[in-house]
Amino acid sequence: MTAPSVATNPSTLLPLELVDKCIGSRIHIIMKNDKEIVGTLNGFDDFVNMLLEDVTEYESTPEGRRITKLDQILLNGNNITMLVPGGDLPGE
Amino acid sequence: MEDEQIPTISVKEPLDLIRLSLDERVHVKMRNERVLRGKLHAYDQHLNMVLGDVEETVTTVEIDEETYEEIYKTTKRSIPMLFVRGDGVILVSPPNRTPAL
Amino acid sequence: MSRKESLSQFIQQIHGRPVVVKLVSGVDYRGVLSCLDGYMNIALEQTEEYINGQLKNKYGDTFIRGNNVLYISTQKRRGV
Repeated sequence: MTAPSVATNPSTLLPLELVDKCIGSRIHIIMKNDKEIVGTLNGFDDFVNMLLEDVTEYESTPEGRRITKLDQILLNGNNITMLVPGGDLPGE
Repeated sequence: MEDEQIPTISVKEPLDLIRLSLDERVHVKMRNERVLRGKLHAYDQHLNMVLGDVEETVTTVEIDEETYEEIYKTTKRSIPMLFVRGDGVILVSPPNRTPAL
Repeated sequence: MSRKESLSQFIQQIHGRPVVVKLVSGVDYRGVLSCLDGYMNIALEQTEEYINGQLKNKYGDTFIRGNNVLYISTQKRRGV
C-alpha cells in the first residue's frame, strides 16, 4: 500500500472544475447567513460570483420562511459558503 | 466641471458618482444604523472619506421589558471633521435630490 | 472562457435597466443601473430603498459599496 499523496493523486478534481460542470444545470447555494438560493447556473468567475437564472431565494425570518422568485441574478460570491450541484430542495 | 460632458454622462464607473459629489453635502449610510450628512472633502478607492460639518444620526432599538415593544431612539451629534473608514459604508448619495419621505 | 463571458455579457446588458439590488442585510434597492465595477460597487439612479418590503427612502443618485451586495437582479420581485 502506498500512502495517498495529494500531489500525485490523479483523481483530484479542482473545486472550481466541479462548479464548471454545473453550468447549465440546477445548483443549490448556501450563503453565510443561512440564506439559500437555488437556480440554473449560467456562468461564474474566479471569485465564484455567479450568474443564475430561474432563481428561488429562501430566507428564514421571524415570521417563517420567505420565498422570492427572480428571473436572473448576478450573485456576489463573497457570501457563499457551500454549493450543492443539482440540489433543488433546500432543507429536506 | 468638464465643458464637453454633462455630469450624468461622465459617470462611467460607480466611484465617478463620488467624484462628482466632492465638495457637496452627501448622505452616507453606514453599518450599525448610523447615518452621516456632511460635506465630502476627500475620498479614496476604498471609499475612505473625509467629511466636514457632519451631522451623525445613530438609531438604536431597545425592547421594552414589560410590553416587549421595540423602541427606536435616535441620537444626533455634530462633528466638525471626520474620517470615515470605507469598509463601514453601505451607501453614499448626494442629498440635494433626496426628497423627504 | 465561456463561463466568464456570460457574466460580462450580463453586466453589459443591464446598464440603463431597472434592477433590484439586494444587500446582505436584506435591504433592497430598486433603481436604474448607471454602472458597476469589479468590486460590485454600484451606481443607481432613481433609487428606492425598501426595508422589510416597505419603501423607506428615495434617493436621486446612489453609490452602493460592493461588499454589502448580495445580488443584482434584473426583474421586479414577483414572489411572496
